[in-house]
Amino acid sequence: MIALISRIGNAVTRWVSLVGALALFFFRIVTCWRTLPGAGRRVVRRVLKDQIWFTALQAVPLIVVLSAILSFLVISQTIQELGRIGATELIGVIIVVAIVRELGPLLTALIVAGRSGTAMAAELATNRVMGELKALEGMGIDPLHYIVLPRFGGAIVSVFVLIVVFDLVAVTSGLVAAVSSGMSVERYFEIVMRSLTFRDSWLTVAKGITFGAVIGVVPLYQGLAAGGASTDVPVASSRAVVGSIVAIFLLSVLFVAVSL
Amino acid sequence: MSSKLPLRFIDVKVDATAQFSYSFDVPPHRCVAVAGDGKSGVDKLGEIALGLTRPVDGTALIYDEDLSMMNDSAALAFRRRVGYLPANDGLMQNLPLGSNIALPLRFGSAYTESEINGRVGVIMAALRVGDYAGKRPPQVSEEIRRRAAVARALAFDPKLVILEQPFDGITTRCALELLQIVRGGEVSDGSRRSVLILGQYLPDQVTTLVDLKYRATKGEFKVEP
Repeated sequence: MIALISRIGNAVTRWVSLVGALALFFFRIVTCWRTLPGAGRRVVRRVLKDQIWFTALQAVPLIVVLSAILSFLVISQTIQELGRIGATELIGVIIVVAIVRELGPLLTALIVAGRSGTAMAAELATNRVMGELKALEGMGIDPLHYIVLPRFGGAIVSVFVLIVVFDLVAVTSGLVAAVSSGMSVERYFEIVMRSLTFRDSWLTVAKGITFGAVIGVVPLYQGLAAGGASTDVPVASSRAVVGSIVAIFLLSVLFVAVSL
Repeated sequence: MSSKLPLRFIDVKVDATAQFSYSFDVPPHRCVAVAGDGKSGVDKLGEIALGLTRPVDGTALIYDEDLSMMNDSAALAFRRRVGYLPANDGLMQNLPLGSNIALPLRFGSAYTESEINGRVGVIMAALRVGDYAGKRPPQVSEEIRRRAAVARALAFDPKLVILEQPFDGITTRCALELLQIVRGGEVSDGSRRSVLILGQYLPDQVTTLVDLKYRATKGEFKVEP
């Protein structure tokens, strides 16, 4: 019995320590720009642009395809079911609540975590293994400035932009599904716009920033925390993606609880 | 700054199991080499000098400053005044060699982009890596990587240069050429730069360019004739 309690206690302690370390790391990232040298800002902007290119723009086709298929399937089937009970008016609520507010941010964040979060963790872990981080510090360059800050900023911008793309494609795909089920274009937009509130827009923006920050912090932390062996690279990637997914789901629950 | 001692190790104990502590100086315009086996902790001296690692005991001073006691920003700014070649070169794998050499200048100097490009061009020509400016580290030989890493260490034209295992994996001829470039030519007191070489092995021919040589082995740290 004592052994069991001890194991549970150890696991809880480790989890709390990790959350504390992640919070501290997040604080260090958001405050490190103050010590960024003036000349370094130009370099950081360039790395930030590259990061947005890799994380956001290269992921657009994937997001567009997934969003279009998902939205078309959900809306076309929902319209048929709602039509039977004469409640097609509710399609607007389904699109706004289920897709724009919940599934859009969640799926986008999961895609970015799987695609770019693992890449960032692997890259940083490799930097550690190859001695590049030590070399940067030896040259007077803080890895937080040169490596972490632009990737963190890039993750936030990218997730937010991709959520907007996902939602726009979802609404357009829903239009195709609705029109093919006999609804007029004007009627569709009227229902959707009537269902869309300021709170939905605000929540989507908040989720974009929060999920982006999670995808920035967790993989970067795991990458920097990697050991010096090459076998630590896949371990860091795995921890990064699992940690990001768990955090994204927990935060989704928190958003629902707060917004109710 | 130049009147101060470039580098001084005072009773530096590298780790808890160390059998001796390091006490030696790198005088101005002198090239000092410290050779030692894997257990000697020689490989840690560069990091200790730059404040990247704290010794168990003792102090390392660069121009009378203990970097381990500085705050992060001050230590980072100070390190730009020292040339540093880490073991395994430490070149960024995702950057071409030209960008690798320009990185410290782009990040820590007020030079314009054209000035940086001009300066990098001169350094690359001196190290004979100009033809490889667009290649990434994995695409070139170990010798070219070492030349590029030395070029990066000299980007700010520092008065003090610390080299970790600089001659591993390259020919003696290349080692001699690199050390001559790192010394920066001769002045009346010796070499233009002060140089500290750390490693397990020093080619015999290279010792002709070294003013002071220490060896750490078998629980002893002593000057070699």
